[in-house]
Amino acid sequence: MIKRWWSFPKTNVERTAIVLGCLILLLALVGAFLVPFDPMKIDFRAKLQAPSLVHWLGTDGSGRDVLSRLLYGAQLTLASTFAVIIVVVTIGCTIGIASAFIGGAVDNMLMRLADIWLGFPPLILALGFASALGASLEAAIWALIFSWWPNYARLSRMVTSDILSQKFIASADALGVPTHRKVLHYVIPNAMDVMLIQIALDISAVMLAISGLSFIGVGAQIPAPEWGAMIADGRSYVSNGWWIVLAPGLAIFITAVSFNVIGDMLRRELDPTSRRR
Amino acid sequence: MRYVAQRILFSILSLCVLLFITFLLSHVVSGDPAIVAAGPNAGADKIAAVRQEMGLDRPLLVQFWIYCSNIMHGDLGTSWFTRQPIASDIIRELPPSLELVFVAMLINLAISLPLGLLTARYAGSRFDDIVRLLVMAGAGLPIFWLAIILQQIVAGQWRLLPTAGRLGFQNRDFTGATGFTLFDSLMQGRFDVFADALAHLVLPAFALTLLFTAVGVRITRTSMIGEFRKDYVVLARAKGASEGRIMVRHVFANGATPALTVFGMQFGWMLGATVLVEEIFGRPGIGRYAVKAVTQSDIHAVVAVVFVVGLVFLFSNLIVDIALYLLSPRKHAGA
Amino acid sequence: MASLAPTNADDRPLLEIRDVSVALRNGNRTMVAGVSLSVRPREVFGIVGESGSGKTLLTRTLLGLQDDAYVAGGSVRFNGQSLPIDGYGTQARKLLGHSIGFVPQDPFASLNPSMRIGKQITEAIYLAKGWPMGAERTRDAAISLMAEVGIPEPALAFNQFPDQFSGGMRQRMVFAIALAQDPKLLVADEPTTALDAITQRRVIELILDRSRKHDLAVILISHNLELLRQSVGRIAVLYGGQLLNIVASSDIGHRMVHPYTEALFDCIPTREKTLADIRSIPGEPVGAGFGLRGCAFASRCPYVVTACTTADLPRNSAMAPSFSACILGRGAS
Repeated sequence: MIKRWWSFPKTNVERTAIVLGCLILLLALVGAFLVPFDPMKIDFRAKLQAPSLVHWLGTDGSGRDVLSRLLYGAQLTLASTFAVIIVVVTIGCTIGIASAFIGGAVDNMLMRLADIWLGFPPLILALGFASALGASLEAAIWALIFSWWPNYARLSRMVTSDILSQKFIASADALGVPTHRKVLHYVIPNAMDVMLIQIALDISAVMLAISGLSFIGVGAQIPAPEWGAMIADGRSYVSNGWWIVLAPGLAIFITAVSFNVIGDMLRRELDPTSRRR
Repeated sequence: MRYVAQRILFSILSLCVLLFITFLLSHVVSGDPAIVAAGPNAGADKIAAVRQEMGLDRPLLVQFWIYCSNIMHGDLGTSWFTRQPIASDIIRELPPSLELVFVAMLINLAISLPLGLLTARYAGSRFDDIVRLLVMAGAGLPIFWLAIILQQIVAGQWRLLPTAGRLGFQNRDFTGATGFTLFDSLMQGRFDVFADALAHLVLPAFALTLLFTAVGVRITRTSMIGEFRKDYVVLARAKGASEGRIMVRHVFANGATPALTVFGMQFGWMLGATVLVEEIFGRPGIGRYAVKAVTQSDIHAVVAVVFVVGLVFLFSNLIVDIALYLLSPRKHAGA
Repeated sequence: MASLAPTNADDRPLLEIRDVSVALRNGNRTMVAGVSLSVRPREVFGIVGESGSGKTLLTRTLLGLQDDAYVAGGSVRFNGQSLPIDGYGTQARKLLGHSIGFVPQDPFASLNPSMRIGKQITEAIYLAKGWPMGAERTRDAAISLMAEVGIPEPALAFNQFPDQFSGGMRQRMVFAIALAQDPKLLVADEPTTALDAITQRRVIELILDRSRKHDLAVILISHNLELLRQSVGRIAVLYGGQLLNIVASSDIGHRMVHPYTEALFDCIPTREKTLADIRSIPGEPVGAGFGLRGCAFASRCPYVVTACTTADLPRNSAMAPSFSACILGRGAS
């Protein structure tokens, strides 16, 4: 499916983004074992220390090591992001593929609903949902699933009906291929490229949304080392501890931009409809 | 006019979906709305009374009907933390937010349209590559973090702009008829207040818009790039038209519709994103109101903000679409 | 139709291009190499070539309309004024507005779909001359131009949009735009290819007739040799980005011409020919970008000798009114 993937990156920016993206994923996986300090241990004698050889990124207002929290937070932030994406892709694609197979009025109604739903400001929708559930990181994750599913429903419905209208499906029909085999052997392999592009581009959007919700206070709650919550926590010290806010913000920024660049590259390489030059 | 009728019908349909979503949030997702409405300190008998009063012992469909008719009558419930009807809270908080979004949108258009046109014209050039990189960087900036950083550096370190608030201390007593300070100060001829209000708007508006601008540049480029390849551009060049004239008079008119539709949607999205900015800059507005309501667990106030933002979103889309339709001269000719 | 003999035209050339090469910006590939020709005032001149021969690229680049290509060498003079090779595009564009009119190929794409017809014509008048006569008289001028190119009810059409007209009518409007600039030279690039046969004939006749009335020189570009043979005085023949032949159209079929021109003519069915006389050219056409070493037509030429592929292609550096690039001397006068 992804043939010659090694020839995808065309510029140094793209190569850098891939290296950074892999590095961040790796840190999210093993970072928790590398942390030099306990990310939750409060030590008021060590509070608000500027970056030094001991505390590479300094300490926060309660004397916790910022680098340790950042590494722990990588896991928390990225795991929540991927949780949202995995559930959204599953639910969205199920609805989208089913809708395309059923067709007719049901299909029409579902897609209209998805269209309208998709338009509403996703952040405020998620905010409403998360606060209705009671503020927590799980609430924020469910809230984003609640406002994000139409993206994938629409995309998968589009891809599926494209495939269903092609000739090889007609011959599969003539052979009596059952629906579940059609989905497994025709729809999913063909939809993979499009999904992959969308997922890569959505990683940064979902991550920004999660950290935004945590920042407002409906996501991860403050002592938790989630990056958005860390920024909210650091706000009160920003004038005498700029590093507490700067570090998690840069972490979000670098991760988001890396995945944006990767998504853009995938779109150029995999999507035949968006060749630019 | 058929188009306008269809478009209005679609908006009504969308409104129904919006009502359904907010009903879902306030009556189903939040658990027992009676507990919510009675407040966190209410006893069991109070909750039972509220339940009866709100009709929560009746079937969901009936409840949905009651919910809708309340909203149609302008009743969004009562906020128990401000102890005011939520509707009047929101009427008070909406103007400053709309003002912020309006200025942010102006900044957005002023950057997106020229950059989008230029990158479409010079697609594949070094300039295009650099702008694409900037766009991807902009799309990865957390709004709230940018707001804090801008506030610290531009207002705090350089003291170029005020740090927080809506007006300076000397203008704290200024009031106007509409609640839109920029508009009111102009109407009263108070140019000092106007300048003061504008200075307070620049940083939050810029922080709010940057993410949307990144998308805006991209969308504008995509909708214009195909136009530059068309033969009417060649003919315009053959007439001796300058590149600027070709971009503004010929290409823009033909490629603007999809881009402007997206900007119409961004207006509503930006209003939603004020929750990330207003609190940081200490500005009144529905964004800050929503954040406060969240920290006080006032679900009804939060859901009311969701509803109002959705409503503004539907309206701004409707207005943009109909305006584009009416301004497009070809439709009048009756083709 | 008129067949202007080369001898009765004016003496000083209007457009003179000498050894002009055109290269693509992307990769600096030379697409058109060493073309020399001149067009006199009021002359009707044709350029023929198969698609990919470089005829459209050459003229569009000369007019400064091709963004991805540039004039890589040679010299260009227009109306006694020579154009710089550096920054050629901007200079050529300056000339276009008031000295050269251009009619592109596809009338369905070449009018701005969201601008009223009248506005598109008055814009051309304005860009060529400013507003010397005020908006009202500019409008009248545009309407009379529309009447002149045969648009029925021009005052009504003035306020209409392009999509309300047929291809033939639209091409007349594009022609009116070209005339509005009050040019000295009209360049029409396959102006009738997108139209049906009868409309084709009418539009070509209109273009030639009005051009004569306005004292315009015309360069008519087409892949259709027969169309050009009936409409123009001299024809330049392009193949693989090389200029192979410049020939009086009356000579084609009567005197010896370049082997490629001869082969092109043999493809045309005419009343005098029997079916056996119509031959296709063997082999596949060579695209532009062949370069200058050897003749691009050598691989398909019935008269080919070894030298054809090794010797430099002769150029028309002397700017002779007729010319053949055949090293065997076929078609040289």
